[in-house]
Amino acid sequence: MRIQDIREMFPALSGKVYGKPLVYFDNAATAQRLKTVVDKMDSLALGVNANIHRAVHKLAADATEEYESTRDVVREYINAASREEIIFTSGTTASINLVAFSLGEILVGEGDEIIVSEEEHHSNIVPWQMLCQRKGAKLKVLGVDDEGHLKIEELESLISERTKLFAVAHISNVLGIVNPIKQIVNICHSKGCPVLVDGAQGIVHERVDVQDLDCDFYAFSGHKIYAATGTGVLYGKKKWLEQMVPYQGGGEMISTVKFSGTTYAPLPGKFEAGTQNINATPTLKPAIEFLKLLRDSELQGELSSVKEYVERSFASLRMTKVYGVPRGTETKIPLYSFCVEGAHHEDLALILDKMGIAVRSGQMCAEPIMDRFGVTGMVRVSLAPYNTMEEAEYFFKSLEKAISMLV
Amino acid sequence: MITLEEAKKAVIEDFSMYDEWLDKYEYLIDLGKNLEPYPDEDKTDDKLIKGCQSRVWLDAGIEDGKLVFKADSDAIITKGIISLLISIYSGRDPKEIAEDDFGFINEIGLKENLSPTRANGLVSMIARIKELAESYSSPKNDEVLTAEDAKELAPLYDNVVLALKQVYDPEIPVNIYDLGLIYELVINKKHEAFIKMTFTAPTCPMADEVLAEVKKNVADVPGIKACEVELTFEPPWDQSMLSEEARVELGLDG
Repeated sequence: MRIQDIREMFPALSGKVYGKPLVYFDNAATAQRLKTVVDKMDSLALGVNANIHRAVHKLAADATEEYESTRDVVREYINAASREEIIFTSGTTASINLVAFSLGEILVGEGDEIIVSEEEHHSNIVPWQMLCQRKGAKLKVLGVDDEGHLKIEELESLISERTKLFAVAHISNVLGIVNPIKQIVNICHSKGCPVLVDGAQGIVHERVDVQDLDCDFYAFSGHKIYAATGTGVLYGKKKWLEQMVPYQGGGEMISTVKFSGTTYAPLPGKFEAGTQNINATPTLKPAIEFLKLLRDSELQGELSSVKEYVERSFASLRMTKVYGVPRGTETKIPLYSFCVEGAHHEDLALILDKMGIAVRSGQMCAEPIMDRFGVTGMVRVSLAPYNTMEEAEYFFKSLEKAISMLV
Repeated sequence: MITLEEAKKAVIEDFSMYDEWLDKYEYLIDLGKNLEPYPDEDKTDDKLIKGCQSRVWLDAGIEDGKLVFKADSDAIITKGIISLLISIYSGRDPKEIAEDDFGFINEIGLKENLSPTRANGLVSMIARIKELAESYSSPKNDEVLTAEDAKELAPLYDNVVLALKQVYDPEIPVNIYDLGLIYELVINKKHEAFIKMTFTAPTCPMADEVLAEVKKNVADVPGIKACEVELTFEPPWDQSMLSEEARVELGLDG
């Protein structure tokens, strides 16, 4: 399989902007939609639209089957121990908020601590700040070094007996370096501290095996793996999910409702209150099927050469600093946040846009890491398996032109 | 100096010379690079324009009755945009700027060709320019009043003076009107009252309370839609400003 074959699965890629072919390099924000994903959504909305779990009629049974079989596909893909450990949400942010509330309620009290890392997305900072504010707990931060690596060596001493959780990205959406989750989990567990992994970027680029990682929670979104927007997953170890209190009350999350008191549905229903995203969640199936296709070795070879070209080109670009430098056996995903001396990130993005290239600029929802590196923002290019060598070459030609206009 | 309309026309012509937006950006970048330096010590938060992704500072002052702008930004295209606006509007009568509709922006298609955040930024820049222009133009006394207008406004003036006489200086048992603290009172055709006033000393500890009371009393006068109070110490107050009544009250004319 070649990149060209992949491109044909994404109708949006043949689009034009300002009369120029679209070069979509903002995949870390959201990926383009697979044709099979759009078809799945269409066919569900037009042909199998009924509310799930409740009614006895055929359409409801079919819709329920579509939805619940998705849970099995996700379970198998991330190798969770049981399907009850897969909770559907609207995305990574919702998954993290769920844990921050429901685990926070049973685990966190005044004077306790939560640790996050300095490179987290706001979605993995603010829910914890809110929890700490609610409970009178303290938020502690694991720092990042100058090259963009977590200061793992400081983690152990940062964890105290009051530490209730470490929330950390699998891969930072700014630095693109794969964090050593297994090692992190080992350190945390040895001190009795559970770990939540923000897998928004991790699920896209890594083969995630939650049992192997041994993390307590793993959160990710559908839209970054080519599925529909408004879909997402929270994986949680059963031992936690069972203890946790429900996040939202409503339909389908109950067992019995009396005015004298309500008992809750067993997992996973306990955390899926209200009508779920029934037309969209099943798009995780074609998306995961696609992720498996990407394991093709011919394709991987071609993608590696694009990545190598991009890395070489950045290295030789004048006045340009790329943040997040991999070292040793570390891997960096094809995501590059950079600054050009004397050129504002927004100016660069604006000029590239007029050349048909979509990149991200600004703080990328990670203000603390911008402060860490003393910048007001960066430009980020993030590639997907449908990005070609020609696009990469065109990008660097365009970037050089933009720099020469600005500096 | 060319007129405002001529300045706009020149910009529209400049812009139309370029077909490609990239070239228009180059033009803006040039403008940005050539913008007069802005002093670092004036890069304060109150000069920052809210609503821009990049930082933009805008300041203005009156020189020979004209409003002169200075600005800066850390992003060069944004700097070019603010430079373009300044080149058109700086050095003009604040009233002329305040009354302008800024419609030429639509003619050059600038807003549509910016990223949404920059387009918002452009809207914020224009709003700030207008706001500064308005604060420097005197909205109160620029109207031509017909005899009928004057007749209609006369009772309002009487009632506002009565309302002002209800406010007392915290230290002297005389109302602020008879004390001569009111330097200016203007009511426009929209029935908005503008008051310029002072205190007997710049250190008056009750100043805020008195100002609030003046504003409330005047705004409460039937027929008055709004009231703005401006505090000034130019010229400083002295006893010669006391009214006849106040002199009697204080036994100064005895």
